[in-house]
Amino acid sequence: MLTIKNLKASYNGLQILKDINLNLEKGQVLSIIGESGTGKTTLGRAVMGLLEGSCTGEILFKGKNLLTCPEEELRRIRGREIAMVFQNVEDGLHPLYSIIYQVMEAVLVHGLKDKKAAEERACEVLELVGLDNRRFLAYPHQLSGGEKQRALIALAVVNNPDILILDEPTASLDALTKAEIIAVLKRFTRETAFLVITHDISTAADLSTHMAVLYGGRIVEQGATGDVLAGPRHPYTRGLLRSYPNMSTTKDLQGIPGRMSHHVEGCPFHPRCTQRIQICAAEAPLPVVEGNRLIACHRGGIVPLLEVRCSKSFGPLKVLQDVECVLHEGETLALIGESGSGKTTLAKTIMGLLKADEEEIRLEGKKVTRRTIDFYQRVQMIFQNPGESISHRMNVLQAVKEPLDIHKTGNEEEKLERVRQVLNEVELPGDDDFLKKYPHHLSGGEAQRVAIARALVLNPKILIADESTSALDASVQAKILKLMMNLQEKRGLSILFITHDLALARKISDRLAVLLKGRIVEEGPTSEIIYHPLHPYTRALLDYAPLLEDRSVRPAGSRWARRACDNSLQAAPGLKRPPSATSKGCSYAHRCLAVKERCFEEKPELIACSPRKVACFYPQVD
Amino acid sequence: MVFTGYLNKIHIKSGYIMQECVQARHVPIRNKVFKKASVLNRASLLNYVVALLIILTMNFFIPRLMPGDPLQAIYGNEALLVMTPELQEELIHRFSLDRPLGEQYASYLLSLCRGDLGHSYYYNAPVLKVISGFLPWTLLLTGLALVISTLVGFLLGVESGSRRGRPLDQFLLGGIMLFSGFPDFFMGIMLLLFFGVFLSLAPLSGALTPYAGHSGLMLVVDLLHHLVLPLAALVLVRLTATYLLTRNTMITTLGEAFILTAKAKGCPERVIRYRHAGRNTLLPVVTAAGLQFAHLVTGTLFVEIVFSYPGLGSLLYKSLLTRDYPLMAGILLVLTVVVLTINLLLDIFYPKLDPRVAKCT
Amino acid sequence: MHVNYWREVHTSGPGRIGLGLLLLVAIAAVLAPLLTSYQPAAYTGAPFMAPSAQHWLGTNDVGQDIWTRLLYGARTSLAVGGGVALLSLCLSVMVGCSSALLGGLYDRLMMRLVDALIVIPPVIVAILAAAYLRPNTVLLIVLLSLFLWPGGARVVRAQTLSLKERMPVYAARTFGAGQLHLLFNHIIPDLGPILIALMIQDARRAVFMEAGLSFLGICDPTVVSWGKMMQHALKFVYLDVWRWWLLPTGFALSLTVMGFTFTGFALETALNPRLRKEAGHADN
Repeated sequence: MLTIKNLKASYNGLQILKDINLNLEKGQVLSIIGESGTGKTTLGRAVMGLLEGSCTGEILFKGKNLLTCPEEELRRIRGREIAMVFQNVEDGLHPLYSIIYQVMEAVLVHGLKDKKAAEERACEVLELVGLDNRRFLAYPHQLSGGEKQRALIALAVVNNPDILILDEPTASLDALTKAEIIAVLKRFTRETAFLVITHDISTAADLSTHMAVLYGGRIVEQGATGDVLAGPRHPYTRGLLRSYPNMSTTKDLQGIPGRMSHHVEGCPFHPRCTQRIQICAAEAPLPVVEGNRLIACHRGGIVPLLEVRCSKSFGPLKVLQDVECVLHEGETLALIGESGSGKTTLAKTIMGLLKADEEEIRLEGKKVTRRTIDFYQRVQMIFQNPGESISHRMNVLQAVKEPLDIHKTGNEEEKLERVRQVLNEVELPGDDDFLKKYPHHLSGGEAQRVAIARALVLNPKILIADESTSALDASVQAKILKLMMNLQEKRGLSILFITHDLALARKISDRLAVLLKGRIVEEGPTSEIIYHPLHPYTRALLDYAPLLEDRSVRPAGSRWARRACDNSLQAAPGLKRPPSATSKGCSYAHRCLAVKERCFEEKPELIACSPRKVACFYPQVD
Repeated sequence: MVFTGYLNKIHIKSGYIMQECVQARHVPIRNKVFKKASVLNRASLLNYVVALLIILTMNFFIPRLMPGDPLQAIYGNEALLVMTPELQEELIHRFSLDRPLGEQYASYLLSLCRGDLGHSYYYNAPVLKVISGFLPWTLLLTGLALVISTLVGFLLGVESGSRRGRPLDQFLLGGIMLFSGFPDFFMGIMLLLFFGVFLSLAPLSGALTPYAGHSGLMLVVDLLHHLVLPLAALVLVRLTATYLLTRNTMITTLGEAFILTAKAKGCPERVIRYRHAGRNTLLPVVTAAGLQFAHLVTGTLFVEIVFSYPGLGSLLYKSLLTRDYPLMAGILLVLTVVVLTINLLLDIFYPKLDPRVAKCT
Repeated sequence: MHVNYWREVHTSGPGRIGLGLLLLVAIAAVLAPLLTSYQPAAYTGAPFMAPSAQHWLGTNDVGQDIWTRLLYGARTSLAVGGGVALLSLCLSVMVGCSSALLGGLYDRLMMRLVDALIVIPPVIVAILAAAYLRPNTVLLIVLLSLFLWPGGARVVRAQTLSLKERMPVYAARTFGAGQLHLLFNHIIPDLGPILIALMIQDARRAVFMEAGLSFLGICDPTVVSWGKMMQHALKFVYLDVWRWWLLPTGFALSLTVMGFTFTGFALETALNPRLRKEAGHADN
């Protein structure tokens, strides 16, 4: 219905929109999201032909190019076929006319002569948007923000337009009003195609069927709303989602480094992007269809930095059985498991400290056969006990400098400079006094910071943190975690966070993998797993996750309610159980509450159960 | 000769037996444990076989690497002078000295198997026969010294370790370490000078009063009378290693959690000291006793010389003076075999003390 | 755990005594020509002279000055002790470190060899070899080293294996460090105190053995040796000369050995975490 091709718009010599291509069909709700200043409003106004500035390209509406249409024809389309609700609720209505008059006017200007009919239509629509009929004759100053927004919507939909452009329809509304407005808007979605311009992602998520992410005048990612939100593929989209407070995701908020600017050559996002390469600054990427998504990124979206698949056994004991995981750029993957589940073995195997029986490791898509010095420049590890991992014979300077010595980078002065810089980055003083301190002079938190600095000094992209904070006090741990999150934000560090603490993982990870006896039994977005665990083991872990209240006061059966610890025998009475543990069958079968006979016979494979994977024959769905 | 036993402990810990045991413990299936165990026994036995072979090979090659006629090298010039050509001929034939080295080596090993260690020209008798007359005295002296020094060292170590830092500990530590500084022969000389020459309390030489014709109890008293000084010299000097090892293991052990458990049980001090801590402390002491024995044998040689005690030490000294090489080589070989045997016996005995090792042996 | 081993040793009682004794012997050995006006081999007077202003410890059976011989004897003892300590330490480190780092068949073979050599009593074999070879000092050092290194190699190997599993080494490996970097930057510096303890132990045993061998008459005939002096003096024990001939020599030897013993004891106490002062039990 509406097709935008190569739309470029500029005013005051500043190009706001650069090459926009969009398509809007009937029945679609397309949301345009992005930070303020990315050109969202400009896009809406350009479609309405209300832009003060010059546009090139095409905006095809029912075959007509709106950009070349004469003003008179545009006027006829405006309000009748394409309507728009502007952002500013306060001033959008004329202060001197009543509401019903203003709505009637919208009908009358488009040729209807019958005032009576117009009034009827206005009343009908005003009722439809849920405005109290005693308010029809009121003046804008007498209305609340929500009522004004309803009136504005009524004004826009009164002519049954084909396309409704909503610019920040829910801005500055309280949560309840927002929900009501969205409910009102949803009544019109069957007849009208919506273009929702918003920075409020929850509105977009609620309202839209499709979503386009605008940045620096370009669309960087576009796809079905659910898909985009569940798995953002462009770094910008992910940054937006991470910084947006909401009830769905559990990870702590993170921002996007830097500020937006319109004077950027090449990919508009590259100055803030943590995975940029040379070409990003030179050329703007073309949007490409990738799976269910349209992505404009030279790297094809967020790159999988590290892909691991390995098996390892110590004698007859299989410590890792075909464990597979992928770590994306700038992402935290938390690896959860009890002691002995093979977490540390996995970390050590990835680092080449242990030799795997079978492994396939890809770093940035390239297969790693030998751990060369370049591998270690990209992948670094932080150990559990910071005090122990730094040699007691080395002072801070020597310790942090050691990787540089091994990699023979630069002369002594450059190394010293680099050490200072990286210490600064982990919020430690870089003065000579501190550089001369030995590990036993440092507090636990300081030592861990030094260990992090040492890992970062080579500028790695991947950090493997093996229980890195479990030896620290909670208050110190919190600070270290915050530091790691900040570093991730700034450098796009990918973190493989190995821990047994689910409550901790929940706050810092994007994705979660649950390891049980050397197998991954469930893997997926953290929030998804926390709120809807499928594997009984994950459930059990969640049930016993730390809580600041008495479990017994929770109603039985509800989440985190007290449960007998070993009730697996009562759980499935009459079940035929093998007398002792066998290697076949699910490794959780003996402790599982939902166990069936089959669980003792076969090993469940890890199967995709979008957007995650689970290895269980009888996944539990709430 | 270990100061505090710390190095010794690293030593013991790194031994093959312990290592393989720990590995074996991870194997859950019973059969495998037994299989591993028999391999293990063979492995430790192999050590002794290899050690013996090294000694034999050295014994064989060192004389033969000397320039000149092998007979001359083995027996020395002095011996050749007094030998009859027939005897020389016979010896050459007996040890295949005119044959290539390989054959010589084979016949050397073969004659060893027959118990033929060569011919002592000084005593004009087979070496083995000469040695067998002297060996019992050495065994008596060394054996007693080993038992006494280990026992006394252990007891003093336990008492000292459980009183760490208190006067008795300080006194024992200082005193015993002082003694350990004296070489065995010098300790022997001093004892000899003081008790023998100065106080005339003990005989100056020998193992028995010659031609006294004692019998029964008198014989034993006479024997002990002669034995006491050399034995004291050995024990005083060789006590230290056991004492220090015990003391320090004791200190370490007393810090263990199971001692706390015992205290909590209400065990009396003495029971804790010996039954709980002491038993545990005994393990490294027994392991170290094997190494200790090798040093002890060496010490015995010197002490015997000082006291003219009729053991292998004196015999060795005499053979050195008279350049009776076959006798000397024979003595050394016999001593080495004794040392190896004692070590082997200790290895076999050890599992009885430590059920953790016994499990996989 | 960071420990200042040097401070631990030189502030402890035994450590002080040991270091003092060693220093004394070392001074005597180094400054021997300044402390006496005679040459050790020179016949300086009548035989069996009692101590006097000219001859502080009298003269021996052929009229050599005993004090002079005592001083020069220190040189032999220390040279043998130091030489053996260094040489056997080198062998120990080479075999121990390479075994631990390379592992595999090489490690198994080496440790088998060490296990076998360790049960061989060194003095006995040294006597045998020395009797045939009639050694000079250098040969004696080599010979003793050959039998002293296995014990050290085992300790070094065990320690290297445990150091290899230490976190800083793992960390260095994650920076891409090679075996040589690990060896020279982490393992050998961390081995340091243990190596010194081994050296002291080896030196002590070597001094002991040298004295013993020369007591048996197995020694370089051209040098003065305490063991030989005692063997000699023992022949004249029926005269009074043993008071200034035999006893001072024996004590000199004993003090040297004690110096090593005490220093080694102090160092090992410092090395053993449970024996260190701050780790002492509060209730004892």
